[in-house]
Amino acid sequence: MLFSLLSLILIAIELLNSLTVKKIIYAIIASNQSHTELSDLLKGVQGISGSTLYALSFNDISVAVSDFTSSKFTMNKEVAIDFARVIEELSESVTLLPIRFGTFLKSDEIINQLLVKHYDSFLQNIKQVENKYEFGLKVFWDYEKCSEQIRVKLESEDVKASDYFSTNTIHTDYLLSKIKKHRLEAALLKYVEQLIEEISQYLAQINPDCKFKKMVTNTIILDAVFLVEKNKKDEFIQTIEVIKQQNADLNLLLTGPWPPYSFVDIVID
Amino acid sequence: MNENKILLNSVAMNEFEDEIEKIENTATSRINATPDNASHGLAKLVLTLIELIRKLVEKQAIRRVEGGSLSDDETERLGETLMKLEMKMEELKKTFNLTDEDLNLDLGPLGDLM
Repeated sequence: MLFSLLSLILIAIELLNSLTVKKIIYAIIASNQSHTELSDLLKGVQGISGSTLYALSFNDISVAVSDFTSSKFTMNKEVAIDFARVIEELSESVTLLPIRFGTFLKSDEIINQLLVKHYDSFLQNIKQVENKYEFGLKVFWDYEKCSEQIRVKLESEDVKASDYFSTNTIHTDYLLSKIKKHRLEAALLKYVEQLIEEISQYLAQINPDCKFKKMVTNTIILDAVFLVEKNKKDEFIQTIEVIKQQNADLNLLLTGPWPPYSFVDIVID
Repeated sequence: MNENKILLNSVAMNEFEDEIEKIENTATSRINATPDNASHGLAKLVLTLIELIRKLVEKQAIRRVEGGSLSDDETERLGETLMKLEMKMEELKKTFNLTDEDLNLDLGPLGDLM
């Protein structure tokens, strides 16, 4: 009953949204050029689903915008890829802060207010990413093989039921299995933290900004992003190759260069 | 992924595709909210929050057991309760056709909930 009621509310909200023309925003752009030059640049790039891009500016920053009628488009993977294509094409010509896919605002006036309100934060963030590329590094391992190796290492300090329980029942067995599982998880996490430490030491000379996400899935143990100065790109790639050679048990996937998707820290309210 | 973006790859392509598919499935279920799957989405949200609380309770319980502060009777009841809770969660996941990977929330800059 409660689910049905909430479902109907969601449907009503979705219907209301689909009837409104909105503005979709793609990126905050550092615009050293004139408004006309920027407009010409945006005319050369198509927005999602063939829409026309235009710029709204405040002082030396602008935002790339296009109209969006949600009844015309379905928000799916293809549109998300198209959105990324727009940001990628723009980033080839200007320094920008990508906006999260699916950010809509009601009108140009609201976007202008947003530029004024967050001007200092945008400018500061643009300086942080200027002349830099983002790279992504995913580290894979064979979960079964590696967790078994760690399990064997833990054997020497293996816990026994008698350490914790004076009786032996199905419920104490269950608790014991949970204790072992938690210890294994803690050991796996420690392994990943040591790997992060090792990567950070190798990259110390290049000094990139880094963000690490641990244990994304059982197989992807590390999902890292790096913000690297453009002139250190080759050195960075070579260093990752060295890290790969030093960790033969791990598989690495390095991608880039990307616009600085993971290094925009501004929350628009 | 655009192939010219891959700078170094020692991952078997099928393994890579499997993992990306797992991540994509989570993202797709978030994007494709339709009237037909709205109640499924609500069930997923509610079960995710319950799973978070269950895991917190489990961690706290293990800490107490390892600390040796519980009597035999308390340990027995705790084990029984946690076991039943996990079984109940498995039942609910089957009912709503959800997997462990589904029971998570992307909190943006804060990362995943679990």
